[in-house]
Amino acid sequence: MPGKSKPEREALEGQNAAIMAVFERAGFDHIAPDIIQPADIFLERSGEDIRARTFVFTDPSGAELCLRPDLTVPACRYHLSHAKNPGAEARYCYLGPAFRFPDERLSPQEFAQAGLEWFAAPDPVAAEARILKLTIAALEAAGLTRFKVTLGDLGLFAALLEDTDMPERWRRRLRHHFWRPHAFRDLLEGFTAGRAAKRSSISDIVDRIGGGAERIVEETLSTRNIPLVGGRDIGEIAGRLAGKAADRHETPLSKVKAEALNAYLAIAGEAANTGEALAGIAGGKRFAGARDYYARRLFEMEELGLNPRRFRFAATFGRDLEYYTGFVFQIEAETAHGPVSVAGGGRYDDLLADMGAPAKIPAVGCAIHTERLKAVLA
Amino acid sequence: MSPLTLAIPSKGRLMQASEALLTKAGFAIERLGAARGYRGRLSGLDGVEVAFLSASEIARNLKDGKIDLGITGEDVLREALAPDDPSTEVLARLGFGPANVVVAVPQCWLDVAAMGDLDEVSESFYERHGRRLRIATKYPNLTRRFFAAKGVTGYRIVDSAGATEGAPAAGTAEAIVDITTTGATLAANHLRILDDGLILESSAVLAGRSAIASDPRAVLLASRVKAR
Repeated sequence: MPGKSKPEREALEGQNAAIMAVFERAGFDHIAPDIIQPADIFLERSGEDIRARTFVFTDPSGAELCLRPDLTVPACRYHLSHAKNPGAEARYCYLGPAFRFPDERLSPQEFAQAGLEWFAAPDPVAAEARILKLTIAALEAAGLTRFKVTLGDLGLFAALLEDTDMPERWRRRLRHHFWRPHAFRDLLEGFTAGRAAKRSSISDIVDRIGGGAERIVEETLSTRNIPLVGGRDIGEIAGRLAGKAADRHETPLSKVKAEALNAYLAIAGEAANTGEALAGIAGGKRFAGARDYYARRLFEMEELGLNPRRFRFAATFGRDLEYYTGFVFQIEAETAHGPVSVAGGGRYDDLLADMGAPAKIPAVGCAIHTERLKAVLA
Repeated sequence: MSPLTLAIPSKGRLMQASEALLTKAGFAIERLGAARGYRGRLSGLDGVEVAFLSASEIARNLKDGKIDLGITGEDVLREALAPDDPSTEVLARLGFGPANVVVAVPQCWLDVAAMGDLDEVSESFYERHGRRLRIATKYPNLTRRFFAAKGVTGYRIVDSAGATEGAPAAGTAEAIVDITTTGATLAANHLRILDDGLILESSAVLAGRSAIASDPRAVLLASRVKAR
C-alpha cells in the first residue's frame, strides 16, 4: 500500500503512543537506534534465511549495509556503543520501522515495531516474568482483549541434554538439530540403535582414520595433490573425521535416555500444569535446576498478577527462533480468521557477546508488530 | 492477431543449437535490419517475431510478460521463477545443452560427504571463525530453496561475478553452487560434488507464458520442435 492516510496514520500513532507509555512508565529509556545498519552483524548472526528477507545495499565505498529487519540487534549495537559499562544493567524501549521482504501476502515490507530490551537484569527470572507482563499490558493498553500466550523454555531442553550421558559431539548435533523435528528424530534413532551409517563417498577414509587423523589427512592431500583451500584447516577436517570414526565404536545411547528426551519434547499443555509432566522426566541435576527455574518463573508471573493457567507451554516452542537461549514466548491475537501473531520475545544471553561485548551479558526482550496489531484491532 | 515474440539466445552454443533446432523443425530465422540485428522473423510461422536475448534475460522477460515464448536453459528459468509461479510453463524439452546445477566443496574437505555434513560444518565454521560459511553462486534462489529443503541454514550466499568455480581457491567463498556438464572444470579447481548435491538436471527448454500456451502458434511450434 502506498502510504497511510491522515486518519490511518493517526490511528496507528495513537495505538503506539499507548504502548510506549506503558514501556516508559515502567522505567525503560526510549531510544532510537539507527535504521541503516551494517549488514554483517545481521547476516553473520542469522544466516541466509534472514538475508533473503533483508534489504541489503552497498555504500559508495563498497561496505554492505542493510535496512534493519528487526530492532533487537540495533538496540544491542546502541548499548555497546553508548553504555559506559556494557555489563551494567540497562533498560531500553523503542518504536520505529523495520523492513523485510514480505514472506506472506498480509505482511507489509515496512512496519513499525515496538519493543523492550533489558540487559544484565539483577534478577533474571523476575525480569522474564516482567517482560511478559509489560508486553501483555502494552497490548491491552492498545485495546487487545482476546489473545493467547504460548511459552517455551530452551533452557529445560539444554539442561536435559547436558544430563544425558553421551559423547559431546552427539550432544552438539542433537542441539543443532533441535529445531528440525525430523532430522532430530532420525539422529536420535541412529544414536540409540548404534546402526552403522550408510556408506558414502568418504567412508573409505573414515575406515582408515584410527589414531593420528591429522597425519592421515595431510598424507591424503599431498598424495592426491589436493590444495588446502576453503578456509578450514587440517585440524578441523581431521577432527570431524575422527568423530565419525569414533561414532562407529560408540556405545549406543540407552533407549531409556532417548525416551526421556522424546518424552520431554512431547510435553504441551497448560503452563501452570506442566509441573507434573516435567517431574516425570528422568533427567539429572541440571534438569532439576532448570525445572525449579521454570517453577520460580511461574511464581513471579503470578506475583505480577498474570494467570499462567491461561498460558500454554510447549516443549518444542522456540525451536525455530534462532538467537534465543532460554525463556521464549509468543502472543497471538484471536481473530475471526484464526490466530495472528502480534508479539514475541524471550531470553538471548549470547547475542551481546557475539556482537563484541567483552563478556557474556544476559538479555531479555520483546517485540510487538504494531501494524499487525492495528489490523487485528481495526 | 497480435504477433507473439519468441526469444532465442543471442550467443554461444545455446544460440547455435536453437537455430539448428528451428531449422530442422522447418522454420528459418530471418534476421531483420543489419546482419547481426537483434530482431527477426520466423519464416514458416506467421505472426511470430524473433528477439535475440541472453539466456537469463529470456527467463526474466518471460516471467515479466515482456516476451511470449523463449528458448533458454531450465537452470536460469527455475532461478528466475518462484516454484509456484503460474506465469510460465515449459512447453517442450529440447534435449540439448545438458548441464547439472550442483553443490561442490573443496576436495580437501575429506570429512564432508553430503549436505548434512555441510550443515554441521557451517555451524562449527561459525563458532571457529566468527563468520558464516560463504557459498558462491549465480543461482541464489535455487541455492536458497535447495539448502532450505536440506535443512542447511548457517551459510551466506556471495554473488559470483566471474568464474564461480575459482571462488574457493581465491578465498572469496568456501563452497559453490554452479552448473557443470562433465565435472572437469570442478575437478580442475579441486572441487567435488556432494553425494546428494544435485540441485537440478537442466537442459534447454522451450518455455512460454501460460496465457499463450494454447495459442495455435505456440502449440504448433512446440509440437514441431518436439517431433523434429
